[in-house]
Formats: sequence, structure tokens, C-alpha cells
Amino acid sequence: MKIVRNGNLCYACKTCQLACSFHYTKTFWPERSSITVSRNPQDGTIKWHMDATCDKCMGEEGLLCVKYCTYGALQILNNNANEQEVKEYD
Amino acid sequence: MIKRGDVKGCLAGRILRIDLSNKKIWTEETKSYAKKTLGGRGINSLIMINEIEPKVKWYDPENLLCFGAGSLVGTITPGACRVDISTINVFSGGKGSANVGGFWGPELKYAGYDNLIIVGKSKNPIYLYINDDKVEIRDASFIWGKNTFETEDILRQEIGDDDIKIALIGPAGENKVRGSAIIIDTAKAAGGSGVGCVMGDKKLKAIVVRGHKKIEVAEPEKFMKVVEKCYQKCKDEPNTRMMRKAPFNLYSNPEWEGWNTNIVIKNGQDDQWGREKRIRLMNPVTGIPSMQKGVRACYSCPIGCMPFMEINKGKYKGDKGEGFWINTIMGHACRFDISDPEAVVESWLLTNRLGLDGDYVAAGLSWIFELYEKGIITKEDTNGLELDWGNSEVLIKMIKKLAYREGIGDLLADGMVEAAKKIGRKSEYYLIQVKGQPSIEPFRIPKGWALAVSTSPVAGRHLRGATMGSNRYGPKPRPGNFGVTDYRNQAKGVVWQGKTKELEDNLGICNYVGTWSGANFLTITDFVELINAGMGLHLTEEELMDHYAVIGRNLEKAFNALHTDMSREDDIPPKRFREEGVKSGPYKGFKIDENKYNEMLDEFYELWGWDKKTGMQTRTCLEKLGLKDIAEKLAKQDKLDDN
Repeated sequence: MKIVRNGNLCYACKTCQLACSFHYTKTFWPERSSITVSRNPQDGTIKWHMDATCDKCMGEEGLLCVKYCTYGALQILNNNANEQEVKEYD
Repeated sequence: MIKRGDVKGCLAGRILRIDLSNKKIWTEETKSYAKKTLGGRGINSLIMINEIEPKVKWYDPENLLCFGAGSLVGTITPGACRVDISTINVFSGGKGSANVGGFWGPELKYAGYDNLIIVGKSKNPIYLYINDDKVEIRDASFIWGKNTFETEDILRQEIGDDDIKIALIGPAGENKVRGSAIIIDTAKAAGGSGVGCVMGDKKLKAIVVRGHKKIEVAEPEKFMKVVEKCYQKCKDEPNTRMMRKAPFNLYSNPEWEGWNTNIVIKNGQDDQWGREKRIRLMNPVTGIPSMQKGVRACYSCPIGCMPFMEINKGKYKGDKGEGFWINTIMGHACRFDISDPEAVVESWLLTNRLGLDGDYVAAGLSWIFELYEKGIITKEDTNGLELDWGNSEVLIKMIKKLAYREGIGDLLADGMVEAAKKIGRKSEYYLIQVKGQPSIEPFRIPKGWALAVSTSPVAGRHLRGATMGSNRYGPKPRPGNFGVTDYRNQAKGVVWQGKTKELEDNLGICNYVGTWSGANFLTITDFVELINAGMGLHLTEEELMDHYAVIGRNLEKAFNALHTDMSREDDIPPKRFREEGVKSGPYKGFKIDENKYNEMLDEFYELWGWDKKTGMQTRTCLEKLGLKDIAEKLAKQDKLDDN
């Protein structure tokens, strides 16, 4: 299972980063998140990164980052997804 | 007596205090303030009324500049990112307040602070660097004079951290232009009340924040259940789709009724704009919508309404930035009769770069354009500029003159009311202002708008209660039963909207995600559930609406009474809109009927619990809210109705 982001749908609200931190800490702590989001309001660019610490929300009902992304930018691809499919998202 | 319990979550816990005159930095606990209000603006208002003596003016070192992130900011609550910035209003002399979203407020909370209170004045330009417990007052001579975009870039390089969040002023604030804004993320302006002017007066160029701490909630699992429900509602609501295109796009339909009800042309000469101009400005292929490159959301917002714009042709091609808003259409286009899309977008970008409040620019400069048309001022006064309606190049030149106090800009920078006194010759009649602050708002057609703008405690802005009819948007009707143009029942809606905005500004929830749009987003029921699970309180909806939604407005009104001579007269719309009717369109002839307006105002005062005749606060109302000390202060100045 892979979590991928469609850059065209992302509004850079950072809710995924916050939801992820809740999974680990039961608090809201962006520093303790597997996801980092940053954006540049001057040129409009958005950077999104998920690091290797992601445990796919072990013990939760569903993936919190995907659940709280109301924009539908985060998607789950299965392990067999090829590189082309992943690229289509980001 | 409300038995709500102690706050057990959501707050960062401390208030950061900085004295710029004596270079002192200290903190105190938020707890004692959070007993009386729910946070954010409520705490700012409480600190201001307790600590600022009535004789203090905005330019005195004793004036406070207060930043308050709402109590739910930093949690995952939808749209909880807002910061209230309060200080003495440079226009009215009373309470000033501006509200802004983005990412700065949450960062302040993660640094460990709910509010930041600044007193005193620095002799030299400085900026504040807040990195958790490390708080420093640093030299800002290397960024003084730079615009907001340049300052952001330089500070990021200087500090070497891309995750810092910055609240700053531009050249306008440095030059103490009255309508200066505090800009956040180079895109979002806390515009009203001249908050940027006060920051410039304190020689404070920027506040850089970086936080690494956590925000805890009282009952995490229960809180997340409420949050999940709220996100689902926002996702399911049909209006979300409209918001996500950025609401200004509603105007790309030339028949949209907002064009008829909420637009003011040529500084108030008419409330109806030609169809061909609407089409030219908002053409999806060649107009403003064609410059929209995307949409962004503020922190933890499930709706997302903030367009990113890039000018795609003409002499301003390539200029870009975030946050273009409906006000720019009302202000920079219609008020000047300008239908050139690139120039309108450029004029808005310019206000963000120079750190000006777009509404002040629009209301103030369109007044000068009209004085030029009427021959009250001439080319000799304008340094040779021909201030003709529709002349976008001249508007852009005038914005720069205002920010840098060049020529006629210097006259206007000290406020339009002051300028009118100097110009004389009936110029004050044409100045659209409320309690001293120039206003771009419509008055003659939407009566809920007229009442809310005229009675706003922070002078002439619509966010403290404006309505567009009880069933105007969405599935949940407002209290009362009234249409856009009705006088009857309108006060009920305005008071309700004013109360809910108070709650939103205490909690830090954007009022677009809250009750403003009328769409089925967050409701009072959701607020109560979020507060109880997140802060660990035991409140009911009635307690929230009858107490916490009322206390903040009373603190602001009392501040105005103690610091100014405001009376019922100051809650009446500008004279022009009582005398001149709308000239064309479906609402031709509409103007404010003084008798009907006054009946509406009577009802408004009564609903807030104030004296119907004078509008003064009553002892009963204040004591019921636990504000006996404030009642005594008012009584001493003979500003209290002793019932």
C-alpha cells in the first residue's frame, strides 16, 4: 500500500500533517508527523513529503491523512501500482 | 451562574509579553483570562480594557498591540487558524481589531503562546524572533524600507529556516499611513483599524515565529469524533464546490445578484455598474478569472477559498500572489469605474506589497477621485495627475504616493477625515466613513449590511454582523424572517451574526467555515461540542450564545465609551446614503429611510440589552455578564445607563 498525493488537487492546508501527528501522539504536534507540507505564497509552489516513519496508521480505522483530506488529493495505491501510476498523482 | 469547569486543553497556556521601550520580555499564564472569555479576541479585549487608560492615544507608548490566536487554533478543528489583532483604532480612537487567517496563528500556539501583547515603542527599527522559549528583540535596520515580499525573502535567508511564519508591515506601516495593514504569509492582510500603522509607530517591522510544541485536547478521542463529523459536513455541503473555485468567481456571471445588491460605484454615486463593464472585468477567458492559477487553503481548512493569481498579459505580466478577494472587485474596480482586469489585480498586489489595507485605499482614494471630478481639488493639488474615473494607471500611482507619503499622498496618509478638514469646501459630505474609518460597504440596498457596518464597534466594517436576508444562503435560516432590503426583523439577524462572529474570533475559527456563508458548515452545536471535548468545559448552547457570545462585544463597546465620545449618532449610516438614492438598476431610488433605520437601531440596542434611546450599556446587562468593574468605570464617566 502506498499513499500518494495528486499535486493538482492539493490546497496545502497541512491537515494531513496534523492528522498524522494525532495518530502518533494523540495531540496536535506537527513536529511529530511523517508528513511535512510547505508552501511558498509568493510563487505558488507546494512541497509535500512523506518520510519512511509512516506506519500506515497502525491500529487506526483507516488512514488519517487520507480521511481528513477533503480535497481528495491523497490516494491509496496498492503495492502493485507501477511507477507510471504513482507519477500520475504527483 | 455558569458552572463550566476549568480549561483542560486546546490552550498553549501562556501569554507572551514584550515591552519594547524597556526591552523586557516575560510571560504569564493564560488561565486567569480564559476564565472570563474563551480566548483569542476575547482575551485581547479584556487586556485592553483593563490596562489601557482612557487618556492613552494610539501613538502613545502605553498603547498595546495585541495578537490573539483563538483557543481552538493549532488543533485540527476545521478552519481554526485565525488571529485577532487588537489595538487602539487609529481612526475612531476606540477599539481597533483586525482578523487574519493563514499559518502564523497556529505557529504562535506551537511556540507555546496563546496571545502576544506588545507595549512600548522602540527607538530604532526592530523585529521579534520567537522560537519556542527563545524570544529576542533584533535589529531590523536591514529590512526597514523593504516591501513585504522582499522582507519575507530576506528574513528567510537571514534566519535560514523555511518553516518560520512572519507577520510584518510594509513601507505604508513604517510611514504611519493610517490605513496600513499587518500582512501574514505575504498574502493575508489584517487590514482594518490601522493595525499596521500602530505596528509601524512602535518601529516593529516583523514578528517571526517558529514553534515545535504540541497542543493537547481534554478528551482526544471524543474531540476527534466531533472533528470527523465537522469535516464530513464540510465535504458534503454543496456550497463547498463554489467556495473551492474562490468566491470572487460568483461575479463572473454578469447576472449574479451580488452585482445588484452589494456594489458601490464611483465612491457612492450609484450602486449599479454597467453590464458590459462587468463582462469585461470578469470574462472567464480574458478577465480576472483567467489569471487564477490555483486555489489554496489556510491551515486545517477543509473548504479552501483563496485564489493564487498571476497576471498573464499586459505591462504587469508575471506579477503574482495569493489571496485575491471579492473586496478588490467592489473596491478597486467598481469604486473607480475601472474594468481593466490586469490593473485591478496589480493594484491589489501592490496593496499587499506595500502593506496597505485595500478597503482603505479603495474608499479613501475614490473619495479623492470624486473631489477631482467635482472640481473641489484640481491638478495643482494632485501633482499633475488627472484623477479621472476609469484611469487605472493613475490609481496605481496614487497607491504608491499614499504608501510613501509623496505629494498629495502625505495629505491622505494622516486619514481622510483629517484631509477633509484641510481641504474643506464640503469635501466631508463625499467622504464615506463610519466612526472615522473610510468604508467601501454598501448601505442603501442591503439593510442588514447598513446596520452592521454602522454599528460595528471597530468602525465601518461588515464582519460584525452583516446579513443578506434570513434565508439568503444555505439550509439553515437566520433568526427572524426578512429579505435583503427589509428593515423589519433585520436587527435579529444582525445581532445573531454579531454573536456568532464573537465566538468564532474567540475560538479562532474562520467565519467562512463558521456561520458567515450560511452554508451547512460549522454551527453553534458544533462549537459547543468542540469546546467541551477540546477544552474540557461543560457548556450548553444557551450559555455560549447568551454569555460568551455577548461578553466580548460589551468589552469593546465599553472600551469605545471610555475612550471616545461615540453616541447613537455614530451608529447612523453616512449622510450621502440617507440623501441620495441609487441612480439606476433594479433598486433605483433606494436610500436609507432615517425613521425606519432608527426603528431598526432601537431593536438592535434592545436585543443586545443596551438602552434603546441612547444606545448606552446598562448596569443590568454588564452585571449579568460579571462585568461589575466595567460598569463602575463607565458610571464614573457618566457613560452608563443605570438600569
